[in-house]
Amino acid sequence: MTEVSSAIKPTPATTVRKGPRGEVRIFATWCKGCHICVEFCPTNVLAMHPNGNHPIVAAAEKCTACHFCDTHCPDLAISVKKIE
Amino acid sequence: MSEHILSAHDLDVNEGQIPREDWFEASTTLQNLRKNKRFPTIWCSGCGIGVVMGSLIRAIESLGLENDQVALVAGIGCTARMPVYMDYNTLHTTHGRALAFATGLKIARPGMKVITIMGDGDALAIGGNHFIHAARRNIGITALVVNNSIYGMTGGQYSPTTPLDMRATTAPYGNVEPPFPICDLAAAAGATYVARSTVYHVLELDKFLAQAISNEGFSLVEAVSYCHTTFGRINKLGAAADMMRALKENSISKSAYDRLSGGERESNTKIVRGVLHTKDRPEYTKVYDTLVDRVHAEAIKPRNAGGN
Repeated sequence: MTEVSSAIKPTPATTVRKGPRGEVRIFATWCKGCHICVEFCPTNVLAMHPNGNHPIVAAAEKCTACHFCDTHCPDLAISVKKIE
Repeated sequence: MSEHILSAHDLDVNEGQIPREDWFEASTTLQNLRKNKRFPTIWCSGCGIGVVMGSLIRAIESLGLENDQVALVAGIGCTARMPVYMDYNTLHTTHGRALAFATGLKIARPGMKVITIMGDGDALAIGGNHFIHAARRNIGITALVVNNSIYGMTGGQYSPTTPLDMRATTAPYGNVEPPFPICDLAAAAGATYVARSTVYHVLELDKFLAQAISNEGFSLVEAVSYCHTTFGRINKLGAAADMMRALKENSISKSAYDRLSGGERESNTKIVRGVLHTKDRPEYTKVYDTLVDRVHAEAIKPRNAGGN
């Protein structure tokens, strides 16, 4: 259950977006690589690791704290914290 | 576990499998897991049972129950491995007899919230007898039936809920037996709360589980899940994410179903989600307690203490 730092650098935010933001943590040792979080993320925050079988946070600033990934993760390997 | 993950984070194999206690502090859901178990869980990659486990933890937590007030009873099967990972009172029983053990537990400890976790084969084939009789007595147990339409753990034999014409390893040319409608069966047998949802609509499932646990009598929650490893592979339904998307597309809410005309309801093949049945009936342990009180009151009068 170790956090994986993002391999892709976050794209610079051009405009300040309204609404809640989220902070995603991925615990890669619990992940079995089922792709559910990556396929369903509505804002494409997550992407698969280029060499591994687990997701990474590719665009952290896009997360809107919708809690889809952490409620639908079958291995409870993602936690999302709402930040202001 | 992949070697590159372990080497990237300076972990040995043991640390990767039995995580340190402070790792569980990330969310309140993780704090209700058993911290000395080997993780990840035994289920296949992407299995919906893990989603139901998270949902059950959130439902219990939303009711503000102490961990010691809740008892989870499970039988045998993929689904029945769920209580092993959860930090409540747990009972792992024989195949199909989860409700029988739970009935004894509820009568001994009527204040305890007893939840039985069963798969579709466990609840309806091996334990079908216990299922209808627990519903008939209206004993205060919450039955959570995770329906994945197949016997997953033993290799994909067809179960009582495999849909017509779908293939299984023991039905290679298609299943000819019509499936059991779990919710209708429970409602007809006398359950007082019957609800159905899917693992895609997991926040709705949280709500139904919380309502079912707080309901006094026998409550049934059917969580429609999927088995992509055996059922999905034989029927060519795709990977876990594809089957989860299919649950989203092939389900209809109860309110939308009620608005359909009679003909459309007849031809509806989608899964109806919602609270399907509620009823007011006296709960079994309460009825039993009043019986005990009445008999005790009668017994005070000695019947053979003499003529006067």
